[in-house]
Order: sequence, then C-alpha cells, then structure tokens
Amino acid sequence: MSRPPTGPPPWADRFLEWFCHPDLLEEIQGDIHELFTIREAEKGTTAARRYFAWDVIRSFRLSTVKNFDLLISPDMLKMNARIAFRQMLKQKVFTFIKIGGFALGMAACLLISLYIKDELAYDQHYAEGDRLYRMVSYNSIFPEAWAGHVFFPAPMAQALLEDYPEIESAARITPGGLFGGGSNTLRRADQQENFFEEGFLLVDHELLDVLEIPIIQGAPAEALASPLSIVISAKKAAQYFPEEDPIGKSLIINDELDKPYVISGVMRDMPIQSHLAPIDFLVTLTEVEFWQGEQQYWRANNYHTYVRLQEGTDVADLEQKLLGLVDKYYLPSTIAEGVNDPEKEVGEMTFGLQPVGDIYLKSAGIMDLLPHGDIRFVRLLGAIVIFILLLAVINFVNLSTAKSANRAREVGMRKVVGSQRGQLVQQFLTESTLISILALSFAILLAGGFLPYFNQLTDKNLVMPWLAWWFLPGALLGGLLLGIIAGFYPALFLSTFKPIDVLRGHLSRGAKSSSVRNGLVVFQFATSVVLIAGTFVIYQQMNYILNKELGFDKDQVVIIQGANTLGDQVATFKEELQRMPDVQSVSIGDYLPIDGTQRNSNRFGVDNGEQVIGQFWLVDHDYVSTLGMEVIQGRDFSRAMSTDSTGMIINEAMARELGYDNPIGHRLNNGRDWEIIGVVKDFHYMSLKEEILPVCLVLEESPYMISVKAKAGQMDNLLGQLQSTWDRFIPHQSFQYTFLDKEFAGMYKDVFRTRDVFISFAILAIIIACLGLFALSAFLAEQRHKEISTRKVLGASTSGIIGLLTKDYLLLVLIALLIGLPLSWYLMDQWLADFTFSIDLQWTVFAAAGAVAIIIALGTISFQTIKAARLNPADFLRN
Amino acid sequence: MGRKHLGEFEELVLLFVAVQAGSAYGISVMEALAEEANRNVNISAVHATLRRLEKKGFVRSDWSEATKERGGRRKRLFSITQEGETALVEIRSIRDRLWGRLPDLGTNLGFV
Repeated sequence: MSRPPTGPPPWADRFLEWFCHPDLLEEIQGDIHELFTIREAEKGTTAARRYFAWDVIRSFRLSTVKNFDLLISPDMLKMNARIAFRQMLKQKVFTFIKIGGFALGMAACLLISLYIKDELAYDQHYAEGDRLYRMVSYNSIFPEAWAGHVFFPAPMAQALLEDYPEIESAARITPGGLFGGGSNTLRRADQQENFFEEGFLLVDHELLDVLEIPIIQGAPAEALASPLSIVISAKKAAQYFPEEDPIGKSLIINDELDKPYVISGVMRDMPIQSHLAPIDFLVTLTEVEFWQGEQQYWRANNYHTYVRLQEGTDVADLEQKLLGLVDKYYLPSTIAEGVNDPEKEVGEMTFGLQPVGDIYLKSAGIMDLLPHGDIRFVRLLGAIVIFILLLAVINFVNLSTAKSANRAREVGMRKVVGSQRGQLVQQFLTESTLISILALSFAILLAGGFLPYFNQLTDKNLVMPWLAWWFLPGALLGGLLLGIIAGFYPALFLSTFKPIDVLRGHLSRGAKSSSVRNGLVVFQFATSVVLIAGTFVIYQQMNYILNKELGFDKDQVVIIQGANTLGDQVATFKEELQRMPDVQSVSIGDYLPIDGTQRNSNRFGVDNGEQVIGQFWLVDHDYVSTLGMEVIQGRDFSRAMSTDSTGMIINEAMARELGYDNPIGHRLNNGRDWEIIGVVKDFHYMSLKEEILPVCLVLEESPYMISVKAKAGQMDNLLGQLQSTWDRFIPHQSFQYTFLDKEFAGMYKDVFRTRDVFISFAILAIIIACLGLFALSAFLAEQRHKEISTRKVLGASTSGIIGLLTKDYLLLVLIALLIGLPLSWYLMDQWLADFTFSIDLQWTVFAAAGAVAIIIALGTISFQTIKAARLNPADFLRN
Repeated sequence: MGRKHLGEFEELVLLFVAVQAGSAYGISVMEALAEEANRNVNISAVHATLRRLEKKGFVRSDWSEATKERGGRRKRLFSITQEGETALVEIRSIRDRLWGRLPDLGTNLGFV
C-alpha cells in the first residue's frame, strides 16, 4: 500500500513552472502554495490537492505564459515564410506539381462535400423530425422488389390512431399517377386555358400537421378539411392568381367541370430537399372514395401512411405491437372474401417504421415509386474524395522527401549554427501549410469555376456558399490541417539529418526514405488500377443496360400527355392521327414501360385454385404494335373478335408464374373473369436493376396518354402535324409531349450519374497520381545523371539506359497491379450484385486495366527517362 | 484609450487594495472579495486583475520578505498609486452626482 500523497501534486507544480513567465512565477506559485496550506487545514489534503491543480490550470493564461521559441513568434514565422517562398521559386516545376495536385484534390473535395451536404439535408427540416415515421410493410410472399413497400389500405391511418395510443397523429397520401396524383391539366374555373401541371399529391388534411407544411394564406385548420378542396404552393398561387387572393377561388382539374376544387390554403413552397418534392398541389382526400366501399376495404393498398409518435415511444416495441393489425384487420377481411387459404394469402406480414429523415437516402429494399438518392452513392463519393486527397498528400510527401538531399546541407548548416529540431520541424511545416493554403485558394477558384459542370454531372443546383459563416473558416481549417498532415512526415524526416554526415557528404541523396516512398507509389498506383478497372467495368455494364433487348421498341415514339381532356373526341383524334402518312400506329393508354406512368398490383385467382400477383394494365387494340412488343404465343387483341373485351394478354413472367405449358385459354380472375389469348415477350418496365414481374394487359380505357409511333425518320415532320391537329381539337390546352426513348433514358439517370461522376473523379485521381510520378521520376533521373553519364561513356546504349531507369518503376507498378486487380475485382463484383441484369466480370477487362495502368505509368516516366538517357555525358562529368 | 477606464471588478479590487493599505496581495484580496463582496473568484482572476491594474498604473507592487508558509517565496504586495486614488475619486463623484439626481429611489427600488 502506498501512503496517501502529501503536499501539492508535483505534476501541477512542474506544469506551472514550465509555462509560467519567470517574472510572475514567484508570486503565482507562492500564492497557490499558500492557498494549499490554508485549504489543507480547512478541507483536508485531497480537496486541497484538487484545488491546487485547478488553480494551476486556471492560471494558465495567455498573459502568464512565457515566451516559447516554438510558439508563434512573428519574426520566426516571417523568416520561415520567406525561406519557404524562396524554396518554392527555386523549384518551379515541383512547386507547381505540389500546389497543382493539392489544388485539384481540394477542389474535388469541396465540390463533393457540397454534394454530400446537400444530399444529407433531405427531410431534415422538421421540428419534430425525430418523431416522424413512415409505415413500411414487409411480406416475404411478394416478389423481391415488392417485399418491402409503403402501400397500405385506406382505413389503416384511422385504425392506427384508434388502436395505438403511441401514435399521436397519422395521415395518408397517394402519390404517383394513381387516382389523379402526379401530373394533370389545370385551369382556373373562370378561364378557358388549360395548363399541364406536375406535382399533384392527394393527401389527408392531417398531413399538413404531420409533415409540418406551413399554410401561409388561409386558415390552417380549414385547409384541405372540406371535400373538393385544394392547397397550392405560393409559387403557383402567384402564377394563377397574380395580385389576387386565391383563397376561395376554384380550379378545374382535367376539365372535370362537375368537380371544381376550391382553394382552401396556400402553402409555403415545399423545400426541394424533401422526398416528396416537387409538390405544388395538395388535393384533399376528405370524403374521397375511389370506388364503393374503398375507404373501409383492407385488401387494396393505395396509400402511404405517415405517423407522428408520442414523445418517448419505443419504436421497436411499437413495430412489434403493430403485428396485431394482421389478426384484427387483414385476416378477417381476407376471410370475409371467402378466400381458400386466407392465412397463406396474408403471408408473413410485418410492419416497420422508417424515420422520415431516412426516406430519401436509405430506402433500399423499400418500394415506394418515389425518386431517391442513394446513401451508397454518397459513401462512394466520400471514399473517392478521401482517396483523391490521399493521393495529393502522397505526392507532397514523396516529392518533399525525394528532394531532401537538396535540403540536407541547409539542415546541416542550420543545426551547426544552433537550430533546434523543433525549429526545423516548424520551418518545414510552415512550408507545407503555406503550399497547402496557396493550393486552397486555387482550389476554391477551381471549384467555383467547375461548379456549373459539376451541377450538370450530378443533376443538382448547388451554389458555392461563399457567405456562409462556416465556409471560408472551414476551408481554411481544412487547408491548414491538410498542410500539417502532408508536411508532418517530411518535416520529421528532414530534421533528423545529422550535421556531421551531411556536411561530410555522406548522405546518399534522398535514398534513405526510398522504402516509404516506394510504398506510397505502390499505394497510388494500386488506387489508380482500382479506379481504371472500375471505370471499365462500369462502362461495360452501362452499355449492356442501354443496348439490352428491352422487349419493346423505345425509338420513334412520341407520347402526348394530358389527352384525357379530349373526352369523347379521343376516338376521332386517334383516327385522324392514324390517317397521317408519317404515323405508323397510335395507342391510347397510361400504362407504359417507363417510370412515372400508371402502375398497380393486383391479385388474381387462377383457374387451378392458385393465386398470383401481377400488374393489371389497361390498354387498347394498338398497344402491342405501337410499342413494338412481340407476341410469342396466341395472338394480339383484334377488333374482329368481340370476345376480346374479356380477353387478356400476359407477359412471359406471368406465364412462368402460372406454370402452364400453354396458358392460352386459361382464365384469371381479379373480380372480373379474363381469358388468356396471348403471351408477349418479357419487356422491361421497371428499372433494369430489377427483375421483370408479371403483367396482364386488357382492353380498357385509360385516356391520359397517347403514344404515337412514327415511321422511320419522320419524327420532326410528325411533331408539327400533331401539334396543329391538337390545337384544332383543344385550342385551350397547350400540346404537351415527350419521347419514349427520352423518358426511358431518364429512368437510368441515377445509373448514368453514377457512371459519369465515378469516371470523372477516377480520371482526376489518376491525373494527380501521374503528376506525382512525373515529378518523382524527373527528380530521381536527375539524381542519377552522373551515373548515367558514366555508363554512357563506358558504352551503354540509350535504350539500355531507358531500360535501367524504367525497371525500378515497372516493379512498383507490378506490385500495385498485384494488389489493385484482385481488389477491384472484389469491389466490382459487389457493385454488380446490385443489378438483376449484369455483365459477367471478365479477366480481359482487368488485363486491359492493368495494361492501361502500366502504359500510363511508363508513359509518364518516359519523358524523364528518355531525356536522361539522351543527356550529354560531358555536361555532367566535367566537374 | 481605455487607460482611464476601470471595470466593475477592477474597481472592487482596487478598492480592496486601497483599504488593505500596503499589505494587499493575491490571497488577501481574494479572501476580502469573498467575505465582504460575496464574490468567489479564482486566484488567477485576482492575479490577472492586479496585473492589469498595475499596467494601467493604478497600483504598484513591491516584494515582501520571504515567508515560510510559502516555501520561501516572497509575496508581491500591492498598494494604490496617486493615479489609482484619482480614478476612484472620479468614479465616486460621478456616481454621487447621479445618485443625487435620482428621485425617490428609496421607495421605488430599495425595498422592492
């Protein structure tokens, strides 16, 4: 046992003596010691010791600290900066590469940081954000793409409120094309002109409260409360009702005169960073019933359900309790329909609560038909930018240590005249931070200049936050930090030189650190190899997707939107189009194989007693031909067959699901009875990332969109004709159209974005790595000038010398390949696993990537090796 | 600028230095602050204030004889300078003038 300590804590005393200015030490130390004596008597030794330490720490002030040589001394700093500038000017190429590499890396870092910040800001604006959740349903009996989804029956929100006291508030929405969400034509009730508008959402009145949507005109309590009421954004209010009070005015949607919507509120424009954005029109769900009994029906899932929980609710616990919904509602309603095996049909349903703040980035595995960001992409970018910075730092370290020989004499001399190691470290760190800060200013300019291109690349509207309080200080801090990190190793390395060795000329020039340097070069090139191979594979996969057989023909099809306002004239309109010489065929229908058109999910009873789930698409006679689908069994719809009104065409996926060798003539029932008359080849109607799910086509009206297939090369002519015909039919509504292939490409926007961003930054990283290698090879060749001269004098050939100089690097690059290729194989394998339809990894791609890496490396150093090999020995051997 | 300015805490410390007439040092001022002004401050705050006052010329300091309880260290004893006294008097006269102009302060503020 050690005795309890007596007296003041010695560490505190020593600390005081260390930092305190000698003029003040006696007074301060004396007082604190005296206090210790007093307190020891009053409160005991332990407390007195504590007080003592505290007093010492409190006395550590700027005004009491002695002048440390190492701590900021303006003269020293000025001198260091001057020397640093001289060094930089002395070696312009190296300085350029150091600063340039840093600047590129930092600019990339700035841009990507802005991007990441923007992505992470989605749905973070709610005051009660930590209590806002979206209901998610999981059911393993559904196909994989739908195993997690957010579609719930109409009565779900009410049931949640009644049965679960933990749920404070609940609200529903129906987004997308279903039942009037998405895009519609709109006009003021007192005007004739129709406008095509997007961003409709059908919502409960309670949603305004749950998602904290601010009503800036009109009474919030009234907004969306009464039937047929609508809330519009401030932007749209200004557009439709300039200098008028929009409250109480009527809007007509889709020319449905019998249902005028009354504006009951104006909401503040929805932040772009919302998973629902862009939304400009909220249409009430009050007293809406899409069909008789729909509002109490538990077997149709059309509503997203959002909830706000009571404070302090245990979410995991609540998710468990929600299982009660199955027995209370889902099962009874299934039994009530007289289904054979209700338990099997309900399946293994579980419920989840997803924080609203997570919806935008973290909805992998949850089908909601909303646009999303991808947390994996954000992470990928973050990783890339860290690697780019690392590469730039490595350049700096390598060049600085390689150049050490030039500084060795200086270091030796400084030491001889009395420099301490700390001072030398300080000097080198000043140099590196200076370079880093210079690079930072270039980087900020670069980033500002490239921002428009970056926005294009990432499909964002980022702005440089010049005036944000955190921006310049943050960037400066980052620059300083990077400078210190980059300068740390060179500073320690350079300051260790022993004067005696250096001044005697013993130090082999820069060779000492070659193992570290070689390691860093290998790292740089391994990274580059991964990026090159990654670029190849990503490119291949994207090409594969774009050129994959889609099962339909996306070219030469124009889609007319908002055609529902044609009403009874639609048949005449179609006939008139079909008569045009440039038109091949015309089809009216909202279910198209592109995103943003109608989707649903139906349950069909099969004539063998089984059940299948599939899409139920309403099309017309010309659908299959207009979209260039291929009937592989049975036949297409025919006007000659009146029985086709109960006929159905299915896709191969459905045929597989049914399991019949020949499904023709078999029957499906989804409340109505259908006979299968044909099978079309599978066509991709979801993203190619996902598998093709069963689809059924029946003859039924869905009048919002008209697809027109042009004869080859006649699209430009055709558009004018379509426009004039449209204007003749509906003079009050502008002709709104898009192209099938354009919309199709839009579905892969995220895929393209991933590709373009990855490739851009991969190239940037490779450039930075090459810059470093270029400078390094220049320097190392320079070092061997004497050796090369001697060899030449003794008869070495130019090619022999090039070989000699190249050999070292070749070895490094080969090691880098050895590490990089397997790594990239692994990483790309992971990435491809995300796609249902993907290429197989081929070794040739990786071989090519390796070859490219070698060519880049050798090409980079060849400038220097060739130059070195062709030098005139006389110039270097003279002295 | 600021040379003549005296902060509230500085004024208090200066007053104690004046009152303790030549025997004031860090601890004595700190204890007086605690007992008479109900201000518990750290010794380092007192030191800093005394240094500031000395810089402004309101106090001067001399070394005492070495004492045992301080491990042989000397005390730095502070006394008020002419300039310090002038500053105190000036502040007081400003205050007196203002207090004289306040109507009915006793009933309005004093016993609220």
